[in-house]
Amino acid sequence: MAQLSLYRPGSSPLHKLNPLTKLAVMACCLGAAFGFPNPYWVVGFYLLFTLSLAAWGGMLKPFLVQNAKLILPFFLSLFIIQGFFYGGATVLFPLGPFSYTLEGVEVAFGFTVRILQAIAGMTLFIFSTRPDHLMLALQKHGFPHQAMYLVVTTMQIIPQFQNKALAILEAQQARGLETQGNLIVRLKALFPMVVPMILGSLIDIDERAIALESRAFSKPGPKTSLIEIPDSETQKILRWCLVAAGLLLVVWRAL
Amino acid sequence: MDKFRSEFTTRTIVLIPIAIAINVGVNWIVQQLALPLYLDSIGTVLVGVMVGPWSAGLTGVLSVIVISLFFWPPAVAWAGVAAIIGFMAALFANAGWMKSWWRAALAGIITGVVAAFLSAPIAAYVFGGVTGQAGTDALVASFRAAGLDALGANMGQGIVSDPIDKLITFLIVWAIMLGLPERLKTRA
Repeated sequence: MAQLSLYRPGSSPLHKLNPLTKLAVMACCLGAAFGFPNPYWVVGFYLLFTLSLAAWGGMLKPFLVQNAKLILPFFLSLFIIQGFFYGGATVLFPLGPFSYTLEGVEVAFGFTVRILQAIAGMTLFIFSTRPDHLMLALQKHGFPHQAMYLVVTTMQIIPQFQNKALAILEAQQARGLETQGNLIVRLKALFPMVVPMILGSLIDIDERAIALESRAFSKPGPKTSLIEIPDSETQKILRWCLVAAGLLLVVWRAL
Repeated sequence: MDKFRSEFTTRTIVLIPIAIAINVGVNWIVQQLALPLYLDSIGTVLVGVMVGPWSAGLTGVLSVIVISLFFWPPAVAWAGVAAIIGFMAALFANAGWMKSWWRAALAGIITGVVAAFLSAPIAAYVFGGVTGQAGTDALVASFRAAGLDALGANMGQGIVSDPIDKLITFLIVWAIMLGLPERLKTRA
């Protein structure tokens, strides 16, 4: 079955870590992104820590590609908007009534590297962690088991839904619905596409609920699982250290 | 707490992933039609109308988490706004505002204004006053050119985009509630 996932299968030590440990790594990365007072330290952290972990996970190249793809729009918007409108005395070049300033560039640089580090921390987690393994690990720590169903089902439903949307789009076009042209024409196409699609997807919720109930979905008590998520005392300690480091960094900047 | 628990029946648990898929799927259609809208909270508002505030809030948060996990990581910064949109939709539905189209439209506009005010500080302070999306950032740039600061420009962009977006969202949900079989409409 088609599943939505950016997970990159692998057998690196990073992949084998407990999902909660990787969640703690992400927290530390986010702390670093927004906690270091100086953006150059964020760059240093990104190069030394975040990229090393990506390399350790054997996914440096796709990781860098993904980072570049995600940061590019922010980079462009920030360097244009802050460069021209932040203000400041050091004019680099004028353009009509506006001037591009060094101060604006500095602000844009700061935000760009912080956003990059935050995106990188999340990508590290997303690329190396299977979502169902994360949910299993959370379940062990008292998360309701329904949460597992929510996440895994969502991953399966979204691709199905996109296929259905494409089918409805083509069917309505075949009946002569105009989906190209000016804004009003395209806006008019919205209702006949969206409403049948949503109604169609809601019809079978009772059947789905009955199917789950007949498999003891809401029965209380412990559930057994086919997959065991490895964990260790070392990782437990490491998790606390990582989260504490992330929090300390943020507190440091706030002070 | 009882109110909270009573919302989460098996049927609600089944409905939430579908609602998230609706959020993501309709947003995808909007992109296919190249419309200047988001329409990424139809599922959230629908859960608010069909079930209640807590499950709608959860749908909003989960939806944003799913979008950040599989499509666009920065989305997670707006998780709180998504939750409040769901919560507000449920409150409007409780007050009977989803029964006539014009009240639903008004509820959408109010929700949009609230969403704009809550989203602007996130764009301004976390993302340096941009959203990383060409259309909205062009709007932000024009407000900055008119002399507004980062917060003001993002607020302006939100006030232009969000109320119209939520107005259409609420009208679509109103239309769906009209077409929905009675057996699915019973609220928890």
